[in-house]
Amino acid sequence: MSYIRIIPSLLLSKNKLVKGTKFKNHEAAGNPVSTIKAFESQKADEIILIDIDNYNQSKGNFVPDLNTLKEISKETSTPLTFGGGIQNLNIAKQIIENGAEKIFLNRSVLFNKLNIKEFVETFGGQAIVIGLNIVNIKGKLKIYEKNDEDLYRYIEKMQKLGVGEFKITFVENEGTKKGMDIKICRELQKIISISCIFEGGIGNLEHIKYLAMNKISSIAMGRILIFNDYNIFKIKTFLKNENFNVRI
Amino acid sequence: MNVGILNYDAGNIYSVYNLIYNLGFTPKIISNKNEFKNIDKLIIPGVGSAFRCLQNLKKNKLFDLLSDNLNSELPILGICLGLQIFCERLYENGEANGLNFLKANVQKISQKNKFNIGWSKVEFKSDELNSIFLNNKDFYFCHSFSIQELDKNDQKFLEGYIKFDQRVIPSVIRKNNFLGVQFHPEKSQVNGVKFMKYFLNI
Repeated sequence: MSYIRIIPSLLLSKNKLVKGTKFKNHEAAGNPVSTIKAFESQKADEIILIDIDNYNQSKGNFVPDLNTLKEISKETSTPLTFGGGIQNLNIAKQIIENGAEKIFLNRSVLFNKLNIKEFVETFGGQAIVIGLNIVNIKGKLKIYEKNDEDLYRYIEKMQKLGVGEFKITFVENEGTKKGMDIKICRELQKIISISCIFEGGIGNLEHIKYLAMNKISSIAMGRILIFNDYNIFKIKTFLKNENFNVRI
Repeated sequence: MNVGILNYDAGNIYSVYNLIYNLGFTPKIISNKNEFKNIDKLIIPGVGSAFRCLQNLKKNKLFDLLSDNLNSELPILGICLGLQIFCERLYENGEANGLNFLKANVQKISQKNKFNIGWSKVEFKSDELNSIFLNNKDFYFCHSFSIQELDKNDQKFLEGYIKFDQRVIPSVIRKNNFLGVQFHPEKSQVNGVKFMKYFLNI
């Protein structure tokens, strides 16, 4: 049986970590290198790091913060997914070269700005993580950045193209510490045949246990690790004591 | 000691580079055959798709370089795709011939689960590896293609495996001067560093 993955999900802006609530009001959240080193020693299973400085895609020649990526790979050996504003294959190549295991893509795929097939053929599907930011509008799940896109058809399309994983973030829960809607997680997990990382709203150990009980095995979190007295080791020890399979 | 790191365009070369450097060795990136000078050990990283990576290897004469060093004195470590290219035939995004050093093919890992992404406990068959990783055998895997069963005569080279969807995935293979791993030592935290030290004999 495979391990539950506990994944710190971190945002990068101007060489520093930041953390917001519901995708707004970002506040400083520390130094990326020392923070990731600490998570590594606490046995984080992977790290997701996203540069948000070009989130609205206004800068046509934007390159995410490769210097910080280089610094991180100098000092850590934890699997890293890196992304944010990637606009072409060449930037993705530099990201992999400089130590990321996987590339995170969201808007550029959603708005058809790059050829995802080419990414799969170059790096292999296992190296591609597609971000899905989800909102609930009048009882229907929608993609935050593009409400008129059919979420289910988009998921199907990505799977057919051979991407490796989805990271699903519940925008309305993000940074709120109120937990996740397990029904929605299960519904999405049912229709998705590849691995799916869920994120948004984790606020305490019971939230994590509840996900694990419902067979959600890849869990990303931000606020609880950055601003609270929870570390990954504590979370994993708790899960182990509850008889879940975690890597300690 | 100079440790060569093969650059065939789509590998996480700097993760490997930094780990080697941090262990006190001199990493050297090798992008074509001419750059292969005074190399004591060679590492082939691997984050990429087989078909295109094999094209790159052949284009830069790195395929020949590897071919020339099969069964030589040069210790070689192949990681993930860097292991798979030593097989007979690979089927990722098109069919391609590998180095044909290991009698096995590389195909989709499983029909049911397309990817193996995450940490797995490796079952080692060698006493040496079992004693080094006595208490913890967890390593990081990230792949969708894997070596299928090794040919009967090559089974003896298998030193470690994991079970995935009820089948065995060869995870450590040693044949003469070649050591290949399906997991990523450069991404396996403490165990990865230990494994790299083991390859470098320290």
